[in-house]
Amino acid sequence: MIKKADITLFFIILIIGLGISYFTLTGSQSGDKVKISADGSVYGIYDLNEDKEIKIAQNGHLNYIIIKGGCVSMASSDCKNQVCVHAGAISETKDSIACLPNKVLIEIESDSKGGDIDVITG
Amino acid sequence: MSSPAKSDNRYALKTKRLALSAIFAALAMIFSYIEALLPLPVPIPGIKLGLANLIIVIAIYRLGFKYAFIINCIRIFAAGLLFTGVFGVIYSFAGGILSITVMYLLYRTNIFSIIGVSMAGGVAHNLGQLITACIIMSNIKLMSYFAVLLFSGMISGILIGFAASLIDNKIPHLKV
Repeated sequence: MIKKADITLFFIILIIGLGISYFTLTGSQSGDKVKISADGSVYGIYDLNEDKEIKIAQNGHLNYIIIKGGCVSMASSDCKNQVCVHAGAISETKDSIACLPNKVLIEIESDSKGGDIDVITG
Repeated sequence: MSSPAKSDNRYALKTKRLALSAIFAALAMIFSYIEALLPLPVPIPGIKLGLANLIIVIAIYRLGFKYAFIINCIRIFAAGLLFTGVFGVIYSFAGGILSITVMYLLYRTNIFSIIGVSMAGGVAHNLGQLITACIIMSNIKLMSYFAVLLFSGMISGILIGFAASLIDNKIPHLKV
């Protein structure tokens, strides 16, 4: 039933997956800036260590973002799937919360250049 | 004498294919509905079993690419508009078209079993959706989800593949 080619393909995909995981999971560090993008452009950059509530209203969509205790989370969203709200709170540079239906993206950035891959390779 | 009989037979086959396609499309929609009713409790977008893919895999094996492609499009449009909204249709389309193309190409090589074909299809489906997400959000950083989606696509693809091979062996091989 299972052929040799299946097993080969399985391991190829597995190795690619592990490789990508290695590159995406290593080099994460706690950040200190919150970058919020809406509809493809930067909406605002906020300090992660300063408690704040941000309301984003654009294109008829509404998102509430809360920065509290060094973590940022999507408090509420009027999107249908609520994946972004369930994503929880994030604080590391590799983390991000995306609300795809409302095109809102929360990313964590860091001031220190040490963990920035682009700087090292560039 | 022989020529009208031949064309009768051709029409009969065409009607059979059409009826089977309709049944497959309806089944795929039912599976989409079941999945919309019972989402997996994972907080990452894109992780699901892809039950409807079961039908598409079998359609590729039984009816060929053209029919499977049309069944997939009908399923995505109808189920998308009914259960997930217009927004979901864009993602499903990107994933569905990439996945069915990859599955058909692997199927044509004749060296993979239905399980390998389905596994590659699951991964391709998630990759297609993720690329669309990157384009829509104009942010390449979303590709960091790819590792998770790759493994989830692989696992669900294998499960669906096992189910597909069981079903493919059980249902009689009608000539269509």
